[in-house]
Amino acid sequence: MKETETTYAGTWIKNWYDIFINELKLIFTDSGVMVIFFIGGLLYPVLYNLIYMHGTVDEMPVAVVDLSGGSYSDRYLRKVDATRECRIFCYCTSLAEAEQLMQQRKVYGVIYVPSDFDERIVRGEQGVISTYADMSSFLYYKNLTMATSHVMLDEMHVIQTEHYAAAGLDGQSAWQLVQPVLSDENMPYNRPFSYTIFFISAALLLVIQQTMFYGSSLLAGTLREQNRSFASMPDRLQGLGIGRVVLGRGAAYFCVYLVIGTLVALLIPWIFHLPQRSEWWEVLVLLLFFIVDCIFFTFTWSTLITKRETVFVLFLSISPICLFLTGFSWPTTAIPAFWRTVSYLFPSTFGCRAFINLNTAGGTLGTIAPEIWAMTVQTVIYYFLASAAVFAENKVIEHRDQLQALRSRIDERRGIDRAENARIIAGD
Amino acid sequence: MKYIYSVIQREIRIIQSRPIYLLASVGVLLLNAVFYLTFMKDGLPHDLPIGVVDEDHSSTSRSFAQQLDATQLGEVIYYDDLHLARRDMETGKITSFLVVPEGFNADIQASRQPHIGYYINSLYFVGGALAYKDILTMVNLTNGAVQRQVLRAKGMNERAIRGQIQPIVLDQHQIGNVTTNYGVYLNSILLVGVLEMIVILITIYTVGAELKYGTSRHLLRTAGGSIGKALTGKLAPYTLLFTLLGIVLEVCLFHWMHYPIKGSLWWMFVDVLLLVMASEALGLFIIELFPVLRLAVSVGAIISVLGFSLSGFTLPIEAMPPYVQGFAAIFPLRHYYVFYVQETVFGSGFAGWWQEVVHFLLFLFLPLFLYRRLEEAYIHQEYERD
Repeated sequence: MKETETTYAGTWIKNWYDIFINELKLIFTDSGVMVIFFIGGLLYPVLYNLIYMHGTVDEMPVAVVDLSGGSYSDRYLRKVDATRECRIFCYCTSLAEAEQLMQQRKVYGVIYVPSDFDERIVRGEQGVISTYADMSSFLYYKNLTMATSHVMLDEMHVIQTEHYAAAGLDGQSAWQLVQPVLSDENMPYNRPFSYTIFFISAALLLVIQQTMFYGSSLLAGTLREQNRSFASMPDRLQGLGIGRVVLGRGAAYFCVYLVIGTLVALLIPWIFHLPQRSEWWEVLVLLLFFIVDCIFFTFTWSTLITKRETVFVLFLSISPICLFLTGFSWPTTAIPAFWRTVSYLFPSTFGCRAFINLNTAGGTLGTIAPEIWAMTVQTVIYYFLASAAVFAENKVIEHRDQLQALRSRIDERRGIDRAENARIIAGD
Repeated sequence: MKYIYSVIQREIRIIQSRPIYLLASVGVLLLNAVFYLTFMKDGLPHDLPIGVVDEDHSSTSRSFAQQLDATQLGEVIYYDDLHLARRDMETGKITSFLVVPEGFNADIQASRQPHIGYYINSLYFVGGALAYKDILTMVNLTNGAVQRQVLRAKGMNERAIRGQIQPIVLDQHQIGNVTTNYGVYLNSILLVGVLEMIVILITIYTVGAELKYGTSRHLLRTAGGSIGKALTGKLAPYTLLFTLLGIVLEVCLFHWMHYPIKGSLWWMFVDVLLLVMASEALGLFIIELFPVLRLAVSVGAIISVLGFSLSGFTLPIEAMPPYVQGFAAIFPLRHYYVFYVQETVFGSGFAGWWQEVVHFLLFLFLPLFLYRRLEEAYIHQEYERD
């Protein structure tokens, strides 16, 4: 008799295991989910790496209008031409001509040197150079500003030294006057302001969260359409199986995403030579916390999806919003308080930031401790919400008839005749 | 015409009985508009935390930090220790810090040229770049201030001092966005990109749902057996809705939000109308190519997310590899962006953007290649339904 009598723990594990295997089967037999998980999850990082292969705009063409034509203006412009950021595309005779080139998209900036420029510098006055930046992309503006400002500073020191020499001061004492304070520039993580490093570091973990959410919701929506939602499971278990359902399904996604996550967060940066400044196992620890968090996040919010395809139609535009909420571009301190609160809803807010700080900036697990904490708190809250969602859905399934009656009453009040609509839409 | 009209009536019934169509168009666009327009409402970030490690504790170093704090861009956070500042930079709490070394003041007085070290975390692009600019300006102002003291002591007049301290002045003009407003540059394309996404997805969804729910034969019957009339009637209400959304969006950006526009708002209406039609054609093409709703929606989703990057409004397209540049042409948003730049930045009118109109119109031929495939699917309904 001993064999048939099972303990509570035994039943629990058996149920859990069945649900786990069942969910894995569902994932691997649904081509749509496989496309999202494996093609979407792996294709996006590769595509973004190809799109942002160079990551910087180099040798941006600019037009020059040099009405002064003296040696100072000439030296200034030659130095601009020598920068990485800009190259002189052509010399124009008037501003109008240069503006036309800009409108034809042949140049993305104009440098204008007025006729009195050299004369004023020789006289010891200030010479003015005007720059016109094309603001259709911020990188054009950044390039023109960086190139013209750096050359301006450099020229400033040269001209100052010349002036002091003319006044009888030269050598060390002139140098000390020109640069009383020296500065050392350190940009340890992304020296060339590369768009690739900046964007991909933030996007990688977001891809994990979003593909999991879309794929899992796709599956949940399908099951609900076919009236075999996982939420009906606790019925068989006398209404006790919520923990088993949530943890069993969760384990399936955990297994799948451990593979996808490792590929995305470790292999992709390695293939494309992106900075990997932390130990591989530290990234793995971050992934563990992040993936578990994403799973319960997904379970909670996918409750809203009742039909298979609706997740994309309704929630696709959330992806760029999540990206902005991480604070990777617009600084966190400048994000309005309301949206900062909203950002705490998403695992990506902490996960992406932790990944940037750990993997790309070369922090340690100690540096990302606050993010790990936040994700742990999120995980606990989302676990309970996901369980509550299963409970609620189970109740909804039990009371389907009453809800149907309620819906008909509302339709009646709004003047919608569903039978008539269905006849018009689908025929007989 | 009679057939098209009855298809339109049928479609209005569908929209009425299933809330997803309005939710996914009006609802989604509204949510995104509220998000992006309030998210970057300041235009440029201010009071960015900049760390200062003051190892000198002199009046000079203090006034330096105070002046940095007084800039619109920066807000100084003081650190006692370089390691603490470095750690806060690694955690992303500050995007930059600078170190004023011990003996800074004394070294200046004695002309020993002390070093100020500054560290920028350029992984946080906007914050990093702005802090960099702010710090660079402050360091140069400090240099200027020291020189000014020396030159004044030598009895030079103010005008000559100006010419000596800063012999070259840059007079910067930003064409198309005078205030360097980050919101103007991002929102004008992001929100239209969301509209493109909505149009592609809903077109696929509404055409594909006929297959999924097995109602496609009835649709064809309503249209008198013509797939052309069926699709025309089906998409007509959405075209109207999307165009309205587009026009409201343009009015919102350029009229209510006062985003700069050099040309005419009327031409921007043309631009957004063409974008809507081209995106519908692209969506139709996708569902014709894959006449299975779930597959087509996934493909449409993957494609429309890429549209944002490939429009070239963040990283310019000429900085991408050549094969990616060609690929970008299949996204209506790319053509919208080129048109938008010509009209809002340069006000060029027809002469500047007529080529984009041609490109947009080419999209309209796309559905013609494969419509038979969809017709077959509509008649036979033999594909998997879900």
